[in-house]
Amino acid sequence: MIAIQTADVDIGALIIAAKKHGTGAVVIFDGVVRDDNITEMELEAYEDVATHDLEKIARDATEKFRLLHVDIIHRIGRLAVGENILIIIVAAGHRKEAYGGSRFIIEAIKAGVPIWKKELTKDGGRWVPGEHAHGREPS
Amino acid sequence: MRSVWRNVDEEENSEEEEMTVKIRFFARFRELLGTDIITDVGVGMMFTSLITTIVKKKPEGYAAIFDEDGAFREFVILMKNGKRVEIADAAKTPVEDGDELAVFPPVAGG
Repeated sequence: MIAIQTADVDIGALIIAAKKHGTGAVVIFDGVVRDDNITEMELEAYEDVATHDLEKIARDATEKFRLLHVDIIHRIGRLAVGENILIIIVAAGHRKEAYGGSRFIIEAIKAGVPIWKKELTKDGGRWVPGEHAHGREPS
Repeated sequence: MRSVWRNVDEEENSEEEEMTVKIRFFARFRELLGTDIITDVGVGMMFTSLITTIVKKKPEGYAAIFDEDGAFREFVILMKNGKRVEIADAAKTPVEDGDELAVFPPVAGG
């Protein structure tokens, strides 16, 4: 399952579904809204391009790390502290490939998928600066 | 390069022909400039000149995207129909009927 959506997902059900024949390890990455003195976080995506990018990242990771299953669900909209932002589930024959594939996917998402976060506070809000692309945005 | 000159020639020969394109801004740029802007442009219009024309009506948005010399700020990311366009190429990238242009700041997902 590759998706950009507002709704949360049932991680337990995804883990069960990820256990394809030959699976020896499942790694779950769950990115969560951290309590940095914010009220909520607002996420926005260039959805068509971002979905296409996530599908390519999943294909690349599957090939590079011989993964048996990949789920990437990136949520958008307003999320409260503690809510899931990004869930990555990978299954592989062995832990080395599962950890490697999971790390590859999160770093690739951070590097280039068009998604943005705004931290909402009592005093307003602030866009989280991007770390990649042509250079850093001035703060 | 040849296709660019061909478009310029076409503009001279068909002054009444117009094209419709969509411009999408995201994140901070969207807040400053709006998004999903549908606009008619003449044949031969280039990516940079179209964005400049649209953005200069809103000084705060203009300052976020362009520097003092009127060039795209180096961190700005450009796309045409979902494909990256380098800033250096945007001034000579023609806009075509039905195009979707996107302009956005560095990404911060995950």
